[in-house]
Amino acid sequence: MFDFKPIRKKSPWILHYNAGSCNGCDIEILACLSPKYDIERFGVINTGNPKQSDVFLVTGPVTFRSRERLIELYTQMPEPKVVMAVGSCTCTGGVFRDMYNVENGLDRYIPVDVYVPGCASSPELIIDGLVKALEILESKTKEIEKPFKLFREASLDNTIVNRRNSALKVGEDTTDDEKN
Amino acid sequence: MKKTINIPIGSQHIALLEPVRFKFECENEKIVGVDSDVGFVHRGIEKACTTKFKYDAIGYVVARVCGLCAITHSMTYTASIEKLIGGEITQKAKYLRILLLELDRIHSHMLCLSHTCENAGFEAMFMRIMGDREDIMEIQELITGNRVQFDYISIGGVNRDIDAALAKKILSKLELVRQKVLGYMDEFTNNWSLSLKFKGVGILTLDDAYRFNAIGPLARASGVQADVRNEIDYLPYNEIGFKMQKHTEGDINARNLIRLNELLNSIEMCNNILEGLPEGEIFTKLRGKPNGESVVRFEAPRGELMYYVKANGSAMLERVRIKTPTFSSIPAFSHIFTGANYADAPAILASFDPCLSCTAK
Repeated sequence: MFDFKPIRKKSPWILHYNAGSCNGCDIEILACLSPKYDIERFGVINTGNPKQSDVFLVTGPVTFRSRERLIELYTQMPEPKVVMAVGSCTCTGGVFRDMYNVENGLDRYIPVDVYVPGCASSPELIIDGLVKALEILESKTKEIEKPFKLFREASLDNTIVNRRNSALKVGEDTTDDEKN
Repeated sequence: MKKTINIPIGSQHIALLEPVRFKFECENEKIVGVDSDVGFVHRGIEKACTTKFKYDAIGYVVARVCGLCAITHSMTYTASIEKLIGGEITQKAKYLRILLLELDRIHSHMLCLSHTCENAGFEAMFMRIMGDREDIMEIQELITGNRVQFDYISIGGVNRDIDAALAKKILSKLELVRQKVLGYMDEFTNNWSLSLKFKGVGILTLDDAYRFNAIGPLARASGVQADVRNEIDYLPYNEIGFKMQKHTEGDINARNLIRLNELLNSIEMCNNILEGLPEGEIFTKLRGKPNGESVVRFEAPRGELMYYVKANGSAMLERVRIKTPTFSSIPAFSHIFTGANYADAPAILASFDPCLSCTAK
């Protein structure tokens, strides 16, 4: 029997939000969906609904008035989700950095997984970013599917209990040193 | 009991490219009242132009006001600074500027037409026009090196030259696009199901166009003879075969036909420029700092764009005021919506070709 599993990939549906960009990146995202670059043949569909989408494409430095909508859309998306910052101004603020109505970049508000630079980002770059996002989405899905115990053992690393214990230990050690 | 229902569109919606919120007050299917909110993408560019950037860099900053008509913004700003400094640029630079302005107009109009079709439910036409639009984007990439935000115009001329081989390549591509535009012309005038969506929908009469101060293709579709390209003297539009387009119906179909005719006219102008491009330098260094006030108008793809610049002889400007086309057209938009069917609202909205990042700056 032929093995389909390594070939099969999830079709990521994207949600696009313009948080104050100049439309340059937005029309490049539209160009990605149009016949020349046509990412729709891989199952990438631009949905208008946050509850059905996996990848959140954000363009623009986050303006004051778009912050609430941005976070609302982000929280409405189901886990696992990937956030892509498209364009220089979304990554760092770009040419709009330090203007009075602009937050410098997207990562001040929500965690960003993929940064796509360029002013405006070309469709090739956006497609590369989407491929990266797909990898991250896969690893996040695996992370969610892992079985986990409600009460973890204290010996495991990276649990809150364990970290708290080790912190206490460090404190005790230092006090011991001072005593000595 | 209240008889009307409020339906919001936006700020994030699949039919919208940019965040804008319309609140429609509907009585059954009819829209009786509209409330629009356009300020979601306000960034504060006008303030930054007077505090953060020097006058020679602002041409590249104001291009980021809008990605679709970026070159028109930098052109208008550059013209106002050149007026203040008082230098003369070469004839070749002027022609190259017009070439890029018209290419920008072509791809912007094609985007608008495809978007109108998509919002009317004709997905195949959307894909067809978007696919053909890539030819224009390729030409822009060949000339300037970037697809969308090409910083081509600088104070004193343009940044890149074109040679004979490139001109030949562009001419062949433009001929291909022209054939395709003639194909759309046939589709838009003869397709029966498109005519149901477009003919007689969203009408703006001539009186209302004057009353609500409509500009650009919106006004020309209603019969107003207003095109800034016909009135300016700092770019030689009269030498290269510019023709004013006019329709009298004022509905969505008339707006589409205006855009299609402008596409053909722009392609013809580009051909004329490439065939008769004069020899010479593309850049002249202009000496001195701007001092005084100037107002420059220009025809963006959506209508009249106006810049007011006030300078005091130093590198920092005192005031930059940008009046964008969509901002002036909002009263006309709201007027057209009242009385229309709610099902037609997305198609009507797309036919205005609104640019909200221009409006909010």
